[in-house]
Amino acid sequence: MNAVRLIGDGVFSMNGREWSLLVACLLAIVIFSVASPHYATSGNAATVLRNSVELLLIGLGMTLLLAMGGIDVSIGIVMGLAAIAIGRVLGADGNPLLAIVVGPLVGALLGCVTAAVVVLGRVPAIVGTLGLLGVYRTAVFVLLGGQWLSGLPSSLTNLLATSVLGVPVPALAIAVAYLAVWLALRRTPYGLHLLAIGNSEEKARLSGIPVIKVRFITFVISGVLTGIAATFYVATYRNVEMTIGSTLALDAIAAVILGGTSILGGRCSLIGTVLGVLLLRILQNGLLLIGVPSLWQPVVTGVLIIGVLGFEAVCNGLPLGRFQRARA
Amino acid sequence: MKTLRNLQGPALTLALLCALWLIVIVGLLALKPSVYNLGTVTTILQFSTILALVGLGQGLVIMAGGAGIDLSVGGAVSLSAIVAMLCLKLGLPPVLLPAVCILAGAMLGALNGWLVNGLALLPFIATLGTFFVYSGAALAVTGGAAQAGVPPWLLLWGRGVVMGIPMPFLTLAIPCFALAGLVLLSTAWGRWIYAMGFNERSAKLVGIPVDRVRFILYVLSGALAGAAGLVSIAWLGSGRPNIGQNLELESLTAAMLGGIAITGGRGGVGGVFAAVLLLVTLKTGLLQLNINTVWQVGIVGALLVFVLLADRLSQRWRS
Repeated sequence: MNAVRLIGDGVFSMNGREWSLLVACLLAIVIFSVASPHYATSGNAATVLRNSVELLLIGLGMTLLLAMGGIDVSIGIVMGLAAIAIGRVLGADGNPLLAIVVGPLVGALLGCVTAAVVVLGRVPAIVGTLGLLGVYRTAVFVLLGGQWLSGLPSSLTNLLATSVLGVPVPALAIAVAYLAVWLALRRTPYGLHLLAIGNSEEKARLSGIPVIKVRFITFVISGVLTGIAATFYVATYRNVEMTIGSTLALDAIAAVILGGTSILGGRCSLIGTVLGVLLLRILQNGLLLIGVPSLWQPVVTGVLIIGVLGFEAVCNGLPLGRFQRARA
Repeated sequence: MKTLRNLQGPALTLALLCALWLIVIVGLLALKPSVYNLGTVTTILQFSTILALVGLGQGLVIMAGGAGIDLSVGGAVSLSAIVAMLCLKLGLPPVLLPAVCILAGAMLGALNGWLVNGLALLPFIATLGTFFVYSGAALAVTGGAAQAGVPPWLLLWGRGVVMGIPMPFLTLAIPCFALAGLVLLSTAWGRWIYAMGFNERSAKLVGIPVDRVRFILYVLSGALAGAAGLVSIAWLGSGRPNIGQNLELESLTAAMLGGIAITGGRGGVGGVFAAVLLLVTLKTGLLQLNINTVWQVGIVGALLVFVLLADRLSQRWRS
């Protein structure tokens, strides 16, 4: 159906979808600048970029998962658990280097748990991760013992708020993560296998692709990226609250779908995800500034997901391959 | 007929559920003997009504296969309750409140059905989107405040108890399950649902109107969510925008525990009914033992994962 797009994709190569996202971002900025006097300030731009850091990292992992025909709705709470671990290490020791290691480690561990249930247990990803979401939510409450983790030492913050050659560390981390994921996706057999599984798991298995291994690794990669996101979260806010990460999974899914990665496989765009994250955060921030209560945010995100998918379905011509990909 | 009965509710599943239920009850009685009275039964059935209605819709959608799932049920419960109460505020005759509540749910379900059928979106992503739209809208429209003003005659129904059994359970949950069981076992519709869940392509080839059946099941799931919203209004005396919280997880767990296969085509409503009672008894028991409610969602989630893994293992073991 869709040819797998492969080598030849540049690191930042964009086509129609990505360009229109960029235009949408710019358009949103213009509209909000006119609508609200507080919008077009350097402080607000910094806020939007700052709020995008975790979502960018998690979105990269979610891109891989969705391109593979998987999903992880527990990813926001996974970040919460990793943040708690980082906070505890930081609070006990204050050694920021140790804290930096803990995040990705916990993320990888929880990624293994998810993969064990979903991949080894052959449970549909949506149902398996929904169950784990419940378990993790209880874990967050129990680990926090009913109160916020606050007043953490500033050593991690000081370390990650610096710049290397004029580039802020968060931006550098995102760039490195982006390049690593891009390389894995476009320049290794792993990426080819992942996209093939997204197209058709059965065909991929029959052509000798180690489906289980590839799927397992992808969940672990997503976990590691989430752990890194947790590190930046703790460094920025220096506290962990009860509701941490409750909307992150939805935001990540919306950003990836906005970015043009197809859940039906075959198309996967990392630069699209980055632009999708930016557009989502610009919209959320702008709507807040023109006076829409934050309670409406999940509604907007949900409408975006359905709207984009519906629009694509209409454009691609209707009943499109439901038989080929009956999978949850 | 015999194979159909096997599909309907593997006796093993029911026996296991009953055994688990007995364990829960004996454990609860051992830890806290004071729960041994009729009031506890009433409470459990009262709590069960909402989950039973939602779980029935969820179970039917999953049973019909095609990766069917309805993650939006919790949002639909909240939003239909809120819509009905807001209509009442805008001057709707109170007599029409039940009808409007169920109709609102059915329309939310119809949107799901259209996304899945008309636009051919994957059910899990379409209903994940509508879940956030519905539950978010219920909260945003009301600002999180409960909507009061339920007519007294509705409260009379919602809080009425006949021989220890709450009225909503007796007049809504039991008839719905009986009807669903009857339809599944002894009508063409029931066979169609099993057939399309078992193998959609063959079902289509033998002329079963797969798309129409699936659309109607999503509408039905929405309407049952609307009915659950009505029960919540009539019982609690107000429309609460967060009443559907966690229902997507709980209804999935009930359906899976009840022996419905996640891939469709296998299971029955009897198992779902037993699973709902088991889940609610467990939750009530935890509440009685003064265990913090945050444990509930974790235990239900763990049960869901456990059931799915156990199902896979038993399949491998059998083959």
